[in-house]
Amino acid sequence: MVIFIIAHHTFREAIRKKILYVLMGLGILIIIAAPFFPTIDEPDARVKMMLVVFFQVVMLLCVVGVILLSATSLPYEIEDRTIYGVLSKPVSRLKIVIGKIIGFALLSALIIVILSLLNVAYIKQIASGLPESCRGVLKARDEFKALRFYIQGKSHHTSEGIVWIKGGRDGVAFWSFSDLCKTPNNKTSFEVEFDLKVESGRGFVGSIPVVVGIEDAFQGLGKTEVLSLMVDEPLTLKIDPEVVQKSGSVNITVFPIHEADYIGVTQKDVRLFSVQKGFIYNYAKAIVITFLKFLLIVIIAVMGSTYLSAPVSIAAAFVVFLCGHILDFIKDFSLLIHRYDVPGHALPTVLRKPSILLIYVDYIIKKPLEWFSVIMPDFKRFDTLKFLLKGINIPLETIGAVFAYTTIYAGICIFISSIIFKKREFL
Amino acid sequence: MDKYAVKIEGLTKVYKDFWRRKKIPALTNLSLNIERGEIFGLLGPNGSGKTTTIKLLLGLLFPTSGKSWLLGCPSSDLKIKSKIGFLPEETYLYKFLNAEEILDFYGKLFDIQRKERKSRIDRLIRDVGLEPYRKRPLSQYSKGMLRRIGLAQAIINDPDLVILDEPTSGLDPIGSREIKDLILEFKRQGKTVLLCTHLLADVQNVCDRIAILDKGVLQVIGSVKELLSQKDVIEFLVRNLSEDDVQAVESFIKNRDGDVLSIGHPSSTLEDIFINIIRKN
Repeated sequence: MVIFIIAHHTFREAIRKKILYVLMGLGILIIIAAPFFPTIDEPDARVKMMLVVFFQVVMLLCVVGVILLSATSLPYEIEDRTIYGVLSKPVSRLKIVIGKIIGFALLSALIIVILSLLNVAYIKQIASGLPESCRGVLKARDEFKALRFYIQGKSHHTSEGIVWIKGGRDGVAFWSFSDLCKTPNNKTSFEVEFDLKVESGRGFVGSIPVVVGIEDAFQGLGKTEVLSLMVDEPLTLKIDPEVVQKSGSVNITVFPIHEADYIGVTQKDVRLFSVQKGFIYNYAKAIVITFLKFLLIVIIAVMGSTYLSAPVSIAAAFVVFLCGHILDFIKDFSLLIHRYDVPGHALPTVLRKPSILLIYVDYIIKKPLEWFSVIMPDFKRFDTLKFLLKGINIPLETIGAVFAYTTIYAGICIFISSIIFKKREFL
Repeated sequence: MDKYAVKIEGLTKVYKDFWRRKKIPALTNLSLNIERGEIFGLLGPNGSGKTTTIKLLLGLLFPTSGKSWLLGCPSSDLKIKSKIGFLPEETYLYKFLNAEEILDFYGKLFDIQRKERKSRIDRLIRDVGLEPYRKRPLSQYSKGMLRRIGLAQAIINDPDLVILDEPTSGLDPIGSREIKDLILEFKRQGKTVLLCTHLLADVQNVCDRIAILDKGVLQVIGSVKELLSQKDVIEFLVRNLSEDDVQAVESFIKNRDGDVLSIGHPSSTLEDIFINIIRKN
């Protein structure tokens, strides 16, 4: 009960601060301006830009606001001694810390919900003007990978893992997909995406005709059609649900018609998707993960603020936030030094003899960097934009993993905060 | 029930420096008891250890050595704080709230039920004279108004022990008198008051017992009457006596080997005159 009183108080204090409204106003302006940012000429590029701007710019702005508020709340209360009023009441220090965290978590939730509702409504409005074929970004698809891939007949040649097939039925690329209907659902539809390499001996052509066959793996039900495969542009086809629902297995074949045409294929080039839920559902999952990220940031900021002064606490929270996004770089930092030792590398600078100093520095910092990267929160786990941009359904397992990670990390942070704050004296 | 509202045994606080080396002794081996229902004054110049003592009692600081009990429980016991009211030296309140909201917040922390909380808030705001300003944010309050609302928050839980750190600081003479009246009212209600101040006039009028601290060391402790009384001096206050009668009394005393130290008209205090004028207006 006391925790929620403190949380409510913290929330009320935060929403009465001007900085929140300044940042939210700025966020709304950016959301509104996002479709007008210069981008490539693809029809759905504006929608993608809106997603990128929202998740990478607007949310960053909100993170800044939340850090500024949550990292300073306790230090300011200690500095102006309003904390005396609370500590002289029957309230444990742990409850104060947890109350603060919940208060700022509520604030984060409010900000995220308001801005994301605005963003999603705007995206829907912009996307309604797009042709149906370009609304892939507004889907939430489950991806299936081909279990089998081979060439029927003969291939022309293989280069860098890509198998090239000459037109005229010399060879046929074959992909097989299974277990597509684990949870049959009337609302489920399927589509297949071809991302094949195209060459032609007929000179420069924008597209080549190919024969595409999609059929049920057991009964052979399905259809074969001639399609135009564009150069450097994936092709998406809807699959008749009956073909999939009969056996849950589908075979896909592709070959170019003209003898002068070639297609380059790999196992990954044909992907099958089940489209189960809409964009909103997927977007909501992305927002939940984003909220968990904010929650973790709040907990880290409040943890720092139990011991540090306001400016140091803000700086510390920003450093952790930054490091949490570049953990790979931090881990690989010593490897960058190691690369100086790689013999036979093309760059002349690398051919130099390894510097004793660099080897020494590497030796010194390697372990601390490893430990540092373990201690820092891994914010890359919270990246949902990659799913939304590809129109891929965010797996529930991903949300579960992020939730578990947040819970464990938050638990450790709150434990440390409680110890620090319990031992703190107020002069 | 323990006889003492506050019991302190050998309380010592030594502040540490950056390297955690013990440096400044703020309080040295303080032992004292405050009985229930008593108004106890803790006196001393700035830096004498008064506020440190209060902070140690409230758990804002941790003692280097020694122990303390409040209302029979160790002062570190969280539950006992529900029976304690505290007014800090300066009124440290959340300025973004108004009077009603701040009292509601503190009332909730004491888990006072909604209906009871509301009636207490209304009464306290009325009692401290802030009824017209109850919806005004505390950021717009004067120092005196803040002090009043600070006092109201200190007694929102109807405490058994009220700890007041410099309660009259920043108040005008009327406000100061009202606070003193309120402290006496606490005594009538059977509450214990620990009054911490360096304004001696505050103490003399209201306290039953006092302790004087200097440089963290207890110098003297006792009842106000005992400490102030001059047992070899007698004072008569007489009305309607003629000049001849005064001379007769004086010569009578001299005849009996008494020393007449002073004869004259007693003066009122400036505070009394000020209050009389303001109240008449």
